[in-house]
Amino acid sequence: MRKESTHVSAVIETKGMSKFYGKHRGVIDLDLSVGRGETYGFLGPNGAGKTTTIRCLLSMLKMTHGEARVLGEAVTLDGAALRQRIGYIPGEVFMYEKETGRWMLDYISGFRGGKGASETELIERLEFDPSRKIRELSKGNKQKLALIIGLMHDPELLILDEPTSGLDPLNQDVVFDIIEERVKEGATLFLSSHILSEVERVCERVGIIREGRLVADENMHELLARRLRELTVKFADGVDASTLGGMPSVEDVVSIDANTLTATVTGEAVDGLIKHLAAHSLTDVTLQHASLEDVFMEFYRDDAHKDSADSKGGDAS
Amino acid sequence: MSWNLFKGTMHQRRKPLFWFSFSLVAYSWMMVWFWPQMGGAEYAELAESMPPEMIALFGDAELSLASLGGYFQTEYLGLMWMVIVAAALIGYAAKMIAGEVNGGTMELLLSQPLSRSKFILTRMAGLVLQVLLLSAATFVPIQILGPGYDIELTAKVFWLLFGLGSLLMLAIGSFAFMVSALSRDGGRPTTLTSAVIAGMWIASFLADVSDFADALDPFNLLSYWEPGKVINNGALATNAWWVYAGVSVVCLVIAYIGFMRRDVA
Repeated sequence: MRKESTHVSAVIETKGMSKFYGKHRGVIDLDLSVGRGETYGFLGPNGAGKTTTIRCLLSMLKMTHGEARVLGEAVTLDGAALRQRIGYIPGEVFMYEKETGRWMLDYISGFRGGKGASETELIERLEFDPSRKIRELSKGNKQKLALIIGLMHDPELLILDEPTSGLDPLNQDVVFDIIEERVKEGATLFLSSHILSEVERVCERVGIIREGRLVADENMHELLARRLRELTVKFADGVDASTLGGMPSVEDVVSIDANTLTATVTGEAVDGLIKHLAAHSLTDVTLQHASLEDVFMEFYRDDAHKDSADSKGGDAS
Repeated sequence: MSWNLFKGTMHQRRKPLFWFSFSLVAYSWMMVWFWPQMGGAEYAELAESMPPEMIALFGDAELSLASLGGYFQTEYLGLMWMVIVAAALIGYAAKMIAGEVNGGTMELLLSQPLSRSKFILTRMAGLVLQVLLLSAATFVPIQILGPGYDIELTAKVFWLLFGLGSLLMLAIGSFAFMVSALSRDGGRPTTLTSAVIAGMWIASFLADVSDFADALDPFNLLSYWEPGKVINNGALATNAWWVYAGVSVVCLVIAYIGFMRRDVA
């Protein structure tokens, strides 16, 4: 399932990384490899282990087993130099509520040896007012501050956990423009999100985590190409669902009207399908690639089916 | 140590530190001011009329309440002073580690190029600075204002009080700091340290009224805190220094080791 990064040097690399909170699962045997300059989307529903993974990589959590390397250095709990090269935006933003945005920016800059090169630019582009106290800021404005803090020092590696949470669509767009610019300049992106359209927009590789385990790790385009496609066929003559029934990898065939069928095409069945359809007189064919959301749901639906089957098996025994 | 974190820490604690210091200065001044009225024969007569249990409740049964040392220990340094400094130091310790973890700001700090060791050593330095400021806020006004109210403490007594008071505060603060470094709930250091201090205070009281409870004294930090004897006699038992210093060092070492190994988010 997992593909090795095609890039020579891995910026993020984990081997058998596991984290348990007592008896509770965080992540299990996670093998990740993200190459330099790569844009990696890390997908999973709430509680799947995305944030745990990030916190282990940033040495905020102690791994139970396994090892991790970031930017070529082993992750240790006391490592600080490494974080000079990382920009992190947490999933939930917590700041010192009594202080102003300006104070926060100066405070964080103090740990990084001076004012961030992009601070002024980011403040302007995100239209953030740093003079206001943090407790007076809306969720969206706190998120903007977290984004400025995470990006202002032009880090080599961006680790973003739901970076647009709380932002309006206009600002979401600005944020992704900024992220795309950073990536073009050579930064590596590790984007954790459950907003699939965001991941689809910027990521070239995607990993899907489910219940602490990595269940997919593939090139985005290959993943989408190999997975679901929505087929709609309009025939010149009346047809019924059996016209497409029985074909391998063609599922969910539905007759919309006397001349139209829809179906879901999975796997590598396109060639055979087109040849099969060529035997009929057609007026229109659309074959739409699945969105990442469809793929994501496919993974979870498969697991749900499997769980359901396991459960039934268990009941039977 | 991180100078940036130190400055930030002091900036964030400036208001509580100001008010606690201000309270101590005002309280010390008030105690000095009241001494001429309290130190006379009438006060001695009133003190002698009190049952020993009540005297023990506020200080030391062996100490004359009409003496300068007895007055300061009973009315100030044996009770209210401890409440004020404990509140200040427990508040600091609870907020600066467990409070940061619980409040989520630790994640922000430790995602910066700031090592855990620098973080905790800087916060320890902040604890030491607060201890020194609170000690100064307590004893400097007594030393400076005292001569105007018939209170003359020698330099030796001043430094003994300053040093021992600082070490007692450091021991209390270090214990709270240790609990804070090992927990993620900001309320636990406050609750646990307050309970331990209250327990010690009750044990001190019991030791003064019951021979049976004397056995607790060696384990009771407050039993070594005898400012009244320092003021009256200009000396104190040597083991007090070692006990306070030892407790402080052990607690801070445990805090350091625990923090270096724990999850901080």
